[in-house]
Amino acid sequence: MHTPARTEPPAPRGPAAGRRGSGRARRRENLPGYLFLGPWLLGLMAITAIPMLLSLYLSFTDYDVLTPLSEARWVGWDNYERMFTADPSYWHAVRVTVTFALVAVPLKLAAALGVALLLNRAFRGVGLFRGLFYLPSLLGGSVALAIVWVSMFNRDGAFNSLLALFGVQGAPWVNDPTWALETLMLLAIWQFGAPMVIFLAGLKQVPAELYEAAAVDGAGTWRQFAHITLPMLSPVIFFNLVLETIHGFQGFTSAFVLSNGTGGPVDSTLMYTLNLYINGFVRLEMGYASAMAWVFLLAIGLITAVLFRTGRFWVHYSDSEGQ
Amino acid sequence: MSRTTTPRGDARPTRAHRTPPPTGHTSRRRLLAAALTLPLLIGAAACGDDDSSGSGGKTELSVFWWGAEARAALTEQALDLYTRKHPEVTFKKTWQANQGYFDKLATLTAGGNAPDLFQLDDNYIAEYATRNVTLDLTPYKNDGRLDVSKFPESLWQYGVVDGKLAGVASGENTQGLVFDKTLLDRFELPAPTTGMSWEAFIAWAENVSKTTKVPGTQDPSADYKAFWVWLRQQGKDLYKGKELGFTEQDAAAWFELWKGARDRGATPTADVIHEGNVTDVSKQLVVTGKAATSWVWANQMPELKKNTKSELGVVAYPGNPSAQWARASMYFSVFRGSPHKDVAVDVINFLANDPEAGKILGTDRGLPSNLDVRRQVADSVDDPAMKQSIAVEGELAKTFGPPPAVPLPGHSKVKTELTKSAEEVQYGRQTPAAAAAAFHAAAKAAIGQG
Repeated sequence: MHTPARTEPPAPRGPAAGRRGSGRARRRENLPGYLFLGPWLLGLMAITAIPMLLSLYLSFTDYDVLTPLSEARWVGWDNYERMFTADPSYWHAVRVTVTFALVAVPLKLAAALGVALLLNRAFRGVGLFRGLFYLPSLLGGSVALAIVWVSMFNRDGAFNSLLALFGVQGAPWVNDPTWALETLMLLAIWQFGAPMVIFLAGLKQVPAELYEAAAVDGAGTWRQFAHITLPMLSPVIFFNLVLETIHGFQGFTSAFVLSNGTGGPVDSTLMYTLNLYINGFVRLEMGYASAMAWVFLLAIGLITAVLFRTGRFWVHYSDSEGQ
Repeated sequence: MSRTTTPRGDARPTRAHRTPPPTGHTSRRRLLAAALTLPLLIGAAACGDDDSSGSGGKTELSVFWWGAEARAALTEQALDLYTRKHPEVTFKKTWQANQGYFDKLATLTAGGNAPDLFQLDDNYIAEYATRNVTLDLTPYKNDGRLDVSKFPESLWQYGVVDGKLAGVASGENTQGLVFDKTLLDRFELPAPTTGMSWEAFIAWAENVSKTTKVPGTQDPSADYKAFWVWLRQQGKDLYKGKELGFTEQDAAAWFELWKGARDRGATPTADVIHEGNVTDVSKQLVVTGKAATSWVWANQMPELKKNTKSELGVVAYPGNPSAQWARASMYFSVFRGSPHKDVAVDVINFLANDPEAGKILGTDRGLPSNLDVRRQVADSVDDPAMKQSIAVEGELAKTFGPPPAVPLPGHSKVKTELTKSAEEVQYGRQTPAAAAAAFHAAAKAAIGQG
């Protein structure tokens, strides 16, 4: 990878000349690297780093988007103080988001793992089934899907027609504040395709000898699952858990579409990011919204860190144990 | 959906970060502020240069509006007509659906490249005017370069914010109660009439529900325009000066009125009401068949008609119709930082007063503001729904009272708070009194009062 010039300096001929020469050579050598890196670096600066720093600055101002940036008034910690002490809708949105993540993420992972186990066998048409189960998550956070969901889960939607076949009178789900968030959770759970595919890949890595050995020792299916599959799969579970948790906290599109950008009915779907959007773009309080964004970033960072901490106790990496 | 997008120079921040940091003995915070602000300022300046580079007498004016394709086609035709008459002026036309329009406008403004000419409505005109985004058109009006002499007095005044003319009405509309005439005829029920009392209307709706099994009316308790008309009939207003024009008790009485109506079965259930609240005009309950009456703007009649087979009728909101007013359906405003202010004002003047342009634009943005143009358009229109809305608006115009002031900054938040509190009552989660207290407090905070 590295040329000798880089790792070990050439023998000094004349002290000054030698050093300058090697510096120039090094620079010439690095130039293509920087050139290749350039576009990405510029992109990082222009669309990530600068806007992020700007929003950090704005979070300490009363910036309202419409006035020039230079007129944004410095308000110190006011925005942060208001968020924690004077804005009930902020805490409401936090509660909605945490509830959503706590329920939807574990269920989504359970569904993904369950279906992955089923699809890990060899039977006719297994490829087709894998494709079908993966399909919903291909559609991802799509607006169209959220619209379909709304029409399926209103009072005269397909879901209630189905319930009616069994003589059950359904609720107006998406238009009912007691059920609207649950309907969104269901949508999130249904899109379990992506973690499922990762689980499948993980399952393929579990050595078949382990199962054979366990079977010889008389272990049943459940014991095999608990003592081989789960531990062997734990790094993959961990990966999916971290990813889906972050994803769950960021839920926006479906709540936005379902409530037409309001978080309704009666704030029941007011997710954190939706509340942030409303504050920034509807109420034109971009300074406040920026502060919310930074608290959000820190919170997700913290949650991820905690997950990594707990991971030490239950995630087993076979190579670190084996060697 | 936009045809031409306003340039957002990708290379700009690149240029900016190579700029040497500002020197001078300033505090560290100011330095930080300057360093962070610089990229955008430079971006804005660079954009300004681009715009004014229309040398050789050529001017390119950027115009931005929301609406559907039909509006886009008409607006483009009218602007092309202007170019034919003034070959030195061309347009960069950008339009998009209502959803997301104000997000984009705010973002463009933040970057310092707001369009020269853009559309606003009374939800946002005060926000833009008080923050000095819009050009004060008063001098143009005074020296005749902007002619509003043929406008109804109250209509152009509805664009005045803090004594400055912030926008020119690009059409007039008013509140309209739209009913399903076909349904009523089938059951030989009478149509609602302009001037009937609220009590009589609710009784009428109750009767419709009982007879037709279709709820008689959408519950408008979450609808700011219905609440507003009702308030004006009590001698109150939504806003008075810089404050709220109503009390907690007023809001409680309003919620109570509709709780009564719901209890009597005059309206649909809460979830259906909510459905009507969040969806756009094409899914209003009168159109989807989930209620016999919807509370809309009179100029939305043609759009409603397009989405239903039923014949529709329109009357004023219940109560004394003089509480209604000639509302600017939307405005055209000029960006204060535009390098082509005079041309932009002349374009507005042309769109509002030129008979040919008026004929092209029709009633798409409401009735033409210029009364001469309006008469001419009314004579030539043959779409029955449009004809009807013109007739009703013309009829109501005779009773119009003075318009209220344009809604205060913070109005969009007041609207969402009203919806939230009204729905709390509809779903039976709060009493009218409790919801009214919450709404009043939140609305007060939203407009920065107290």
